[in-house]
Amino acid sequence: MLTQAPPIIPTIRVCALHALAYCPRLFYLEEVEELYTQDAAVFAGRRLHVELQKQEDEDWEELNLESETLGIRGRVDALRTRNGQVIPYEHKRGRCYRDQNKQPQAWASDELQILAYAYLIEEALNIPIQEGRIRYHADNVMVRVPLTTAGRQKVLTAIQQAQALRQSLQRPPVATNEKLCASCSLAPVCLPEEARLSQDPERATFRLFPRDDDREIIHVLTPGSKVGKSGEQIKINHRDQPEEKLPAQRVSQVVLHSFSQISTQALHFCVSRDIGVHFITGGGRYIGSFDPRQGSIQRRIRQYQALSDAQVCLHLAKLLVTCRGQSQRKFLMRGQRGKSDILTTVTPIIEQMQAVLKQIEQVNSLESLLGLEGNLAALYFSALPALLTERIPEELKFSGRNRRPPKDPFNALLSFGYALLLKDVMNGILTVGLEPALGFYHQPRSQAAPLALDLMEIFRVPLVDMVVVASINRNQWEISTDFECRGSQVWLSESGRRKLIDAYERRKQEKWKHPVTNYSLTYRRLLELEVRLLEKEWMGEPGLFAKLVVR
Amino acid sequence: MAEKQNWYLICYDIRDPKRWRKAYKLLKGYGESLQFSIFRCLLTQRNCEKLRWELEKILEPEDALLLVGLCERCRERLCGCNRPGAWIESSDAHQIF
Repeated sequence: MLTQAPPIIPTIRVCALHALAYCPRLFYLEEVEELYTQDAAVFAGRRLHVELQKQEDEDWEELNLESETLGIRGRVDALRTRNGQVIPYEHKRGRCYRDQNKQPQAWASDELQILAYAYLIEEALNIPIQEGRIRYHADNVMVRVPLTTAGRQKVLTAIQQAQALRQSLQRPPVATNEKLCASCSLAPVCLPEEARLSQDPERATFRLFPRDDDREIIHVLTPGSKVGKSGEQIKINHRDQPEEKLPAQRVSQVVLHSFSQISTQALHFCVSRDIGVHFITGGGRYIGSFDPRQGSIQRRIRQYQALSDAQVCLHLAKLLVTCRGQSQRKFLMRGQRGKSDILTTVTPIIEQMQAVLKQIEQVNSLESLLGLEGNLAALYFSALPALLTERIPEELKFSGRNRRPPKDPFNALLSFGYALLLKDVMNGILTVGLEPALGFYHQPRSQAAPLALDLMEIFRVPLVDMVVVASINRNQWEISTDFECRGSQVWLSESGRRKLIDAYERRKQEKWKHPVTNYSLTYRRLLELEVRLLEKEWMGEPGLFAKLVVR
Repeated sequence: MAEKQNWYLICYDIRDPKRWRKAYKLLKGYGESLQFSIFRCLLTQRNCEKLRWELEKILEPEDALLLVGLCERCRERLCGCNRPGAWIESSDAHQIF
């Protein structure tokens, strides 16, 4: 007869216990949600270990140990024998903790870590350990930590707590001690400041994420180009032109327009270096992105849970439609400033939009919300022509939105701009690790990802509509060279696409003060921030999503 | 809040061709070579530490490595006292090919 074996509980890494003692949320994010980021201190610590290894040469011994009974495993930095006693050593790059008498002490998390190592050696190798030692390199101090019964108990308690957290579906709250967050490597993912802000809207925030991505976005437009990798560089070959090589650390996205080639080696390389790869057709339709599916399943499970609830979806969709409608209305208001001649045509439309926006609050189904959104869009596009100056050529005049295919240059510009925007929103979603196919407003259909379409609504006006209208008013377009007319269809030519990509990317670099978080950031950062704020809506820290309204 | 970035000059003497190639390839991923054995890289603190860690894994004690961080003022002077074109920076965050 078969007896059921007890379920095997995976052991916990000792460095995870270190994280747990630092902040339970850090432990949860790393061990359960599997989110890792590396900041400068992480790399500096690793370099210290490489240097130590070289100094010690043969003397250096690393031990991989595991104890099923204790439920922990780990790699001991160094093990030395002093006076017949085996002593584990741990090296830390920073300074030690000083107590009231200025005596050097171990930090609580470091203490737990060395105790765990000592206990682990005792259990796994069956030799008695009396103490562990931590060396703090910044102030050159050695701290001894004796392994006592109380110390062993501390380790056991921590292991229990870790195992309980592993089973939990609830992410622990942000640490109350803000100093911990200031030097935490996971702050860009955990977003402690945003979490505190959502609890207390009056708070002054001092440091917010995501950080600006200073790397370049590479658009490959010329058909027949080949993107490859060479060492640590991204290589671009054009026909009849010298090869271009770019340092990979300076590249954040590769966008392949039309039928440019990318090698498999380059794709693998881009994944390993966090470089997004996106595809757009020669006609300017967004095809898709290379999705390495590294987002942890925890986030997606929570997204499924939240977005299966019709009420949550409706609430978020209302926020979204309000946000876009307000932006459209504000853009029209901005356009009519100082122009008395268009006041009579635009002002009534602005008032009608306001009336429609007021109705959104009472809506109780996605269908009626769609109706209101349709009204808003119709009003907006009917007023948009008034924002164009008189001096522009006849062909660039706008008389209503049409697409698939666009029938005039203005619509061609909008369509291509929205394709670029969709690409960037997808990049944000994939970076954060949400499921693009499960949205809350747009219904699933082939090709476009509903969540990306949802989020895109927020940015349509500031990142595309405003850019297109401004460039037309500045007379930046040449009808004959920038557009290709095929019968009733109008497409952007290569020079036209270059111009629009340039204008769009420049716009993304512009800074903007967020009305809720109250700090300035570029639209490029905002794209990712908005995805993170959306996730917070169902992570118990709501209230910050879709507040981006043009002033 | 952008992560603060600084220019670095990275110079090296590496005694072994195999290690030299490795280090050269790695540095190519972070910046551009100005002259033999001299690179210039625009690095955040994080990337600087990352690069130093990766270099440390390659280099041996007999090799020499010198990182020179340039502050904003250094960079201005660098442009001022050199031939035109010795130090060109692009300010765009995108490139179109």
